[in-house]
Amino acid sequence: MTSIKFFWKQDCPKCPEAKQIFNGLKEKGFKVTDYNLNTADGLAEGTYHSVLSTPTFLVIDDNEREILQWRGDVPTFEELFAVLMSHDVKPQCMC
Amino acid sequence: MRILSQTGLSLKEAQKTEKDPKIKHMPCSSFETTDLSLFVRTSEEDLTTWDRGKIVEALIRETYVDIDTADKISREVEHQIMSSRINVITAPLIREMVDAKLIEHGLERARRMHTRLGMPLYDVDQLILHHNKENANVPHGPEATNLTLAENIKKEYALLNIFTQEVADAHMRGDIHIHDLGFCDRPYCSGQSLEYVKRFGLDLPNALSIAKPAKHPEVLLAHMVKLAASLQGHFAGAIGWDAVNLFFAPYLSGLSDRDVKQLAQIMIFEFSQQAVARGGQAIFSDINIYWEVPKHFEDVPAIGPGGEYTGKTYSEYIQDAQRFAWALFDVYKEGDGSGRPFFFPKPLVHITEKFFNTQGHQDFLLHICDVASEKGNTYFVFDRGETAKISECCRLSFKLKASDLIDARYPWKMRYCALQNLTINLPRVAYNAEGDEAKLFSLLTDLMELTAEAHMQKRVFIEKLLSLGDRGPLALLTMKRDGEPYLRLQRASYLIGMVGLNEMVKIHTGKELHESKDAFMLGLKIISHMKLIADRLSKKHNMHFVLEQTPAESTSYRFAKLDLKHYAPQANDFVRGNIPTGEVYYTNSTYLNVGATINPIDRVMKEGVFHPLIEAGSLTHIWLGEAKPPKESLANFVIKVFKKTNNDQIAFSPEFTTCTECRRTARGLNPACTYCGSEKVEGITRITGYFTKISSWNKGKTGELKDRYRSGEALI
Repeated sequence: MTSIKFFWKQDCPKCPEAKQIFNGLKEKGFKVTDYNLNTADGLAEGTYHSVLSTPTFLVIDDNEREILQWRGDVPTFEELFAVLMSHDVKPQCMC
Repeated sequence: MRILSQTGLSLKEAQKTEKDPKIKHMPCSSFETTDLSLFVRTSEEDLTTWDRGKIVEALIRETYVDIDTADKISREVEHQIMSSRINVITAPLIREMVDAKLIEHGLERARRMHTRLGMPLYDVDQLILHHNKENANVPHGPEATNLTLAENIKKEYALLNIFTQEVADAHMRGDIHIHDLGFCDRPYCSGQSLEYVKRFGLDLPNALSIAKPAKHPEVLLAHMVKLAASLQGHFAGAIGWDAVNLFFAPYLSGLSDRDVKQLAQIMIFEFSQQAVARGGQAIFSDINIYWEVPKHFEDVPAIGPGGEYTGKTYSEYIQDAQRFAWALFDVYKEGDGSGRPFFFPKPLVHITEKFFNTQGHQDFLLHICDVASEKGNTYFVFDRGETAKISECCRLSFKLKASDLIDARYPWKMRYCALQNLTINLPRVAYNAEGDEAKLFSLLTDLMELTAEAHMQKRVFIEKLLSLGDRGPLALLTMKRDGEPYLRLQRASYLIGMVGLNEMVKIHTGKELHESKDAFMLGLKIISHMKLIADRLSKKHNMHFVLEQTPAESTSYRFAKLDLKHYAPQANDFVRGNIPTGEVYYTNSTYLNVGATINPIDRVMKEGVFHPLIEAGSLTHIWLGEAKPPKESLANFVIKVFKKTNNDQIAFSPEFTTCTECRRTARGLNPACTYCGSEKVEGITRITGYFTKISSWNKGKTGELKDRYRSGEALI
């Protein structure tokens, strides 16, 4: 199952805006997880995916390959949603 | 006669002061004494008659006990000596007897203050006769013995007098390791700029003569080597030099290629033959080399002969800088008089985005890969994006911050140091956590906080020495030729290393780092946790605590031995090497199992995942064994590592056998010379970051050598 990973930090100026997109994706029913790089779990996951800047969105396929990425930049919700749809990344449920 | 010191403490009161470190002793001048027909061999090389008052004097001078207590103890010791009917006694023995009495009276803190530092006769005998293998870069000889003896005294001194008992005990138990305790009165490693000596000449405190800035390249080289030797006397570890080929360039204009190569040869031989310095130990030296002109030096005015600005910038010297870099690797490729690799200075080539955009980089990359395959010298240092750093030691690096890049306008200011290095025994944390993850992280946090305490204690001690200025032991580091002290303490970093992450996760999960993703992710979480704690401690204490992959040449051996002793039988299942022969070790730092059959690019990628968390330097070894891969293959590998991984540094390590009879050197580790058949051979390969003779390795490292998976064939 394709999943979306969202990486953020407490002192990152663009992260609050990105957090709203994360919430929007969640509301749409996408499988999306957030990782706070100020925690050991979050930093470990971020390091594993070579996340060097925040906010970062990664779309990971079943084989753990990164098929889409936005690193250090915040797309608009509409842009991100459109790209996800064009890559056949669908919500798990229409909640 | 009864004389009280000003503290006037009775025995009972003195016992109370054990808990009050603020109470100090006061001096006293006269005592009752009993003459005996006894002679005492003193530490001042004198044979004197017995004087009980000396005991009282020492107790009053060195501890806080009052005159009555001191008198009582001296009488008890005197009685014991009289009863023994001995004719001659040594001062150290009297001191030990006094210490035993202090313990009897419950005066433990006084006993600590009264401690005599030294070594048993047997140990000194062993040291003089046999090779001390704690550091493979120290040969065996009278100078080395002096070094080891002095180190032993200073180690004891540091554990009693610099660090608190909590820190000292943690070191003694093997929870942590305080590196270079024998060099407790100096900082750890340093990064230097040749520009300092170019601009100010060789004008060192306590020097017998002062040299003005060099006018000729050979003289500049002589100044560099002498400053390096002086610095070796003031730092415990490596002396690294930044952008050496670039900073030499203004002296090379007009020189023929032959002369440039001659200079390169002198430089390498000078550094590799400095086995006459501290304890007969060659200076652990590193030279940072750039094919391009690094961005932060592009517009910097160049300093040339006589310490004068040449009117050009360093960008205009790129061709001479490249000629010198090329010549250095020509010399490395030839090796020494026996065709052996040079052990020092280690050449570290910075691979950057700009490198790939600089003319001639393909040929230079092939040249340095040729050397890497042939002799193994080349270190490949990857500076991706905006990263710039000075590298040295086995893998230590000083990443340059914005303020450092401003300093680059005045490159002589770019002097960096790591004040101390401490390593945490990770497998022990896992033994103590007993499978409880919350406990594991909590114990790790406690040890990180303890290392911060230890760093602060060392800093206080070094500050005390530096405060003595040009009359103190660190006068060289206080000289202010450019207006600020040579040692820029405010920029110092404090290293926190780790040993045995692989075994730690195995103890906790049952799998090694390379065996399961869960184990790998736990390893990553542990190092992430350590980084976050280091960052938090840095803010709290306003000191720069950073993680480093400890070289752990002897630490991984020490931790493994101690755990076999204190955590048996559990440790028997996790310690690596050969337990019956004592060749035991833990996997170094965040490395994957050195014996695991892992493709070299996979190893570089997986180990490299940890590297961005380890700010002060990481490295992946590729053990070539006998294989000699083509330079083109290594060049492709290096490009792939730069572009596809986060690995910080890599080094390829071949193995050699050198014959002490016919003086020739062959590939691989062989029991006899492949040329003349003699069995008088020495194996040579990389121990941690540097090449050295295997006969000088400690048992832990020889155990690791036997386990190493040689993956050179995969690169052919």
